[in-house]
Amino acid sequence: MPAERAIVPFAFAERFFGEGAVALAVFGWWAAAHRLPEFILPGPLPVARRLLELFITPAFLQDAWTSTWRVLVSIVLALVIGGGLAFLAHGAPSLEGIVDRRIKPVLNSFPSIGWAILAAIWFNPGSFGVIFVETAILIPFCLINIAEGLRNIDRELMEMGQSFTRRRLRILWRLTFPLLVPYGLSAVRIAYGVAWKIALVAELLGATDGLGYLMLRAQTAADSTTFLATCFAIVLIFVAGERLVIVPLERRFARR
Amino acid sequence: MAEIDIAAAQPSRPSGLAANKLAANLFALLFLVAWEAASYVAPDYLIPGPVPVAQRLAAFVTSRHDLGHLGASLFHVAAAIAVSFVIGSLLALIPYYVPVSRFAIERRIGPFLNAFSAIGWTLLSIMWFGVTPLTVIFAISAVLVPFALVNMSAGLANVDSEFIEMAGSFTRRRGRMFALVIVPSLYPFIFATLRIMFGVAWKVTLTAELFGGNSGLGYMINLSRQEFDTTTIFAAIILIIAFVHCMDRYVLAPLQAGVSRHYAS
Repeated sequence: MPAERAIVPFAFAERFFGEGAVALAVFGWWAAAHRLPEFILPGPLPVARRLLELFITPAFLQDAWTSTWRVLVSIVLALVIGGGLAFLAHGAPSLEGIVDRRIKPVLNSFPSIGWAILAAIWFNPGSFGVIFVETAILIPFCLINIAEGLRNIDRELMEMGQSFTRRRLRILWRLTFPLLVPYGLSAVRIAYGVAWKIALVAELLGATDGLGYLMLRAQTAADSTTFLATCFAIVLIFVAGERLVIVPLERRFARR
Repeated sequence: MAEIDIAAAQPSRPSGLAANKLAANLFALLFLVAWEAASYVAPDYLIPGPVPVAQRLAAFVTSRHDLGHLGASLFHVAAAIAVSFVIGSLLALIPYYVPVSRFAIERRIGPFLNAFSAIGWTLLSIMWFGVTPLTVIFAISAVLVPFALVNMSAGLANVDSEFIEMAGSFTRRRGRMFALVIVPSLYPFIFATLRIMFGVAWKVTLTAELFGGNSGLGYMINLSRQEFDTTTIFAAIILIIAFVHCMDRYVLAPLQAGVSRHYAS
């Protein structure tokens, strides 16, 4: 009991310290912005105001939606292609060398800007090029996670499955896929983070809409307020997606 | 009986491996043929053939000017890894020694750094520092700090508390305990962190150099793009893939495996 009583004030102190650090950071930002010209560092208030404005401007919401659906489609495609490659290597041992020693190292070491530049050369600006680049960047993350999942599948469970049915599709659907769900979710989580943080570069070079394009336009016009507001908007969208979709999904499947 | 089984199974394993290797090499050959065929159909500025790209690659590794750009990229990556590793580790150590700051670091600073996009840091640092190596190093470091923070926090959480107790019975000096007990038990995590950071750094460096650098492979790729010199872009990409893969496979992975074997038990 005394230990519990001690924990509550400590949690409060921790929380107080944490929110205090945020307040201090915002105050430091405000003080720094006070001395610097607006195109280098706008203050927190104008940025917050612009952030609010952005979320009620239909044009911005359109751009945010464009980036979001591109990210989602790319994650699904990367999961299908990366997972497919992992299954190929797992199912046909003769293909293992091709996937593990040729495709995986190349995709894994391919610089993201390389994809973006190649797409800018090969395709017209638009959603197709952006999705191509984002998918190409995300495939190795999905491939590595799903391959790890396939490697860790319990052999005895598979044997048990085979004693019930000889239909491979049934085993795949009833056993392999459910066993892979945690690895698939962890692939989605990593891919989601990489997509918003790194793969957004696709929209800088090969698009005429989306949040990446918006950021580049604001930066070229030296409109730091809009630029920073867009950065924070991405942070908010990213965190919202993680908290509202990925964490509940993980919690649901962890309970099973 | 079992011994005979194993002896009988052995010869088939190397042949399986050889078939695997053969398939992999055949695939690479097939890919080269397809690439060559595609380069006949498509114009040079879209897909240059493997031969001109190989010639450009050979010119690349013998040209002082081109190697200088590779050196600049290496410097950016090394400097950024060093800076972000120190900052990330310090951020991870603060909650370890000052528990009240745990919420601030793990729930406020960490998630914020983790959610801020790499492009944001790059363009922001161009506005702040102009087009200089500092911009590139700042942008890469900002992206890498959360990786160092998360991994080193995990490492600190894994330090055996009995070790600490034992060390506490030998000395009361915290600096001595840190250097002789905590740091050695962190070695496996340090190497794993550096390996992850190396991989991510290369993904971000070229972007930072392309937009905010005046040297490095990213800058070179940008110049080639403006001149529609796709051959150089291909050569640079192949060079990076080879370099990153060889570094990871032949230097970092064995190093990490050695360290893990030595310290993690």
